[in-house]
Amino acid sequence: MLHGIDLFIVIAFIVGIFAVGVYFRKYVRTSEDFFLAGRNLTWWIIGMSIIGTNIGSYDYVGGAGAAYGVGIAQANYEWIGAIPAMVISALIFVPYYWKAGVYTVPEYLGKRYSQPVRTIEALLWGCFLIACLSIFFWASGVMIETYLGWSIWTGIIVTAVVVGFYTVSGGLTAVAMTDVIQLVIMLVGGIAIAIIGFDLVDGWGGLIAKIQPAHPDHFKLFLPLDNPDYPWLGMIFGLALVLSPAWWCCHQAIIQRTLGAKSEWDAKAGMLSAAFLKTLVPLLYVLPGLFVLALCTTGLDNKDQALPWAVKNLLPVGLSGLIFAAFIAAVYSSIDSTLNSAVTIWSRDIYQNFFKKDASDKHYLNFGRWLTVIFILIAVPLAPITENFGIYKAMQVALSYFQGATLATILLGIMWARSTPWGGLAGLVLGVVCSILLTATGMNFLYVAWWSFVVAIIFNVLVSLFTKPKPIEELTGLVYGLVMKNENIQNNLSDRAEGGA
Amino acid sequence: MIESLKSIPIGTVKIIGAIFFLIVMFWAVTRPRAYIFRGAPDQSAWRDLRIWAVIVLLVQIYLYMKF
Repeated sequence: MLHGIDLFIVIAFIVGIFAVGVYFRKYVRTSEDFFLAGRNLTWWIIGMSIIGTNIGSYDYVGGAGAAYGVGIAQANYEWIGAIPAMVISALIFVPYYWKAGVYTVPEYLGKRYSQPVRTIEALLWGCFLIACLSIFFWASGVMIETYLGWSIWTGIIVTAVVVGFYTVSGGLTAVAMTDVIQLVIMLVGGIAIAIIGFDLVDGWGGLIAKIQPAHPDHFKLFLPLDNPDYPWLGMIFGLALVLSPAWWCCHQAIIQRTLGAKSEWDAKAGMLSAAFLKTLVPLLYVLPGLFVLALCTTGLDNKDQALPWAVKNLLPVGLSGLIFAAFIAAVYSSIDSTLNSAVTIWSRDIYQNFFKKDASDKHYLNFGRWLTVIFILIAVPLAPITENFGIYKAMQVALSYFQGATLATILLGIMWARSTPWGGLAGLVLGVVCSILLTATGMNFLYVAWWSFVVAIIFNVLVSLFTKPKPIEELTGLVYGLVMKNENIQNNLSDRAEGGA
Repeated sequence: MIESLKSIPIGTVKIIGAIFFLIVMFWAVTRPRAYIFRGAPDQSAWRDLRIWAVIVLLVQIYLYMKF
């Protein structure tokens, strides 16, 4: 339970975020304002919003616990498992999505390949994002119950009202701006823990001296192949080469901020600035996990208790409130982004594509707002199921089912003009089937991702070689090799994107 | 095959990791200047995203070689 001052800080944070989010309602007049912030986001807002979205409550609690258990190898998910992919995303994928003038990643696939490919991707991501919403709502309820003593349902409903209201009101602009504030709070909290922790363990040297004798592998990033969770081969081939690019190049909630950039340069710089911030993310949870290992002499029964132990035993009054505000910030920033992205996919790729093609812009804006409310009303009652049936883990597995195939499909779509609509469909479907079959054999998900990626590439190429490609003029602006050397095409594309094509 | 990979020392794995980062870095710095600056309000040095990519990847190489 938090002290009165801590409680005041937490409530002030929630009220402040609510007010800031609602303030941005006045900037939303069209559906483009709602879904893409009027294509007016600058690079630093994009970068901070991407990282705010990326850090969730599980990163804090589960990440600190993993760092307590295995050490800095957990940082692989932030470093080799993110940074190279973010550089590639910034310099290849993001500019092509932006120039295509699309609202969603499936919409790009529809233009590049075909409607079936777009629809399959939209349904996979649309369902996944809604399930994630339920998980995040449950996490918020559990967290608020643990630290504030409110019931889980009170916590969930407060979260739903606050996040739902500003997401409905301000759309992506409100989501991005609140993400910025939330990330600042997270970083300030992380730096505060680092300062206090290093003071208690006598600096970096003291931390190593306290941990390394009993845990010699805790300061190694690459662990041996026989490590069940962090084998170096899986880290490089599964995580760095497939799962990470799939996340940073194809995830709608990540990419959507860059689609709202005011220029192609801002879109690219936004993703690269996020890579700089990503380098700092282990400060938030890897270091606290190590501090607890060094300072908690009795040991922990459950390693996921590492961060709560740190908050309870290491932090002074006032700072505990700030750290808890950072936890809430992590949950809120994940919920608002997931909500907005889910609504964008279901509105653009399903509703507008299949049910209402030629309605007024006002209609799509209102539909987006109502759909936001509906998704909250669906996700909140489903939240307890995510706890009872271990859905979080199931969703991680589900994500590995289609990430490898998605990456292969988009990669060939952008890099190889010869890839055909049938090739894209075959690669996507057979890659997903391959993932499901390999997972059933009990293979580590890092290796599943790699092999499903390889299978999707092979079938995409094979089927493409025997089927008819799209005419070159239909691929202009969608495929890397076709536009790089043509200045006229580049200029025309920029004009088209700026016009919101 | 896995058995033979198990015999690779972690020091060698670190070098493999560094080569991976270097490949991405080389690819980034060879992007055309016009492509990098497209949409930028000016072409001042700090807006050169190739430099951003090099810095962020050099930090990674340092971390992976040290740990």
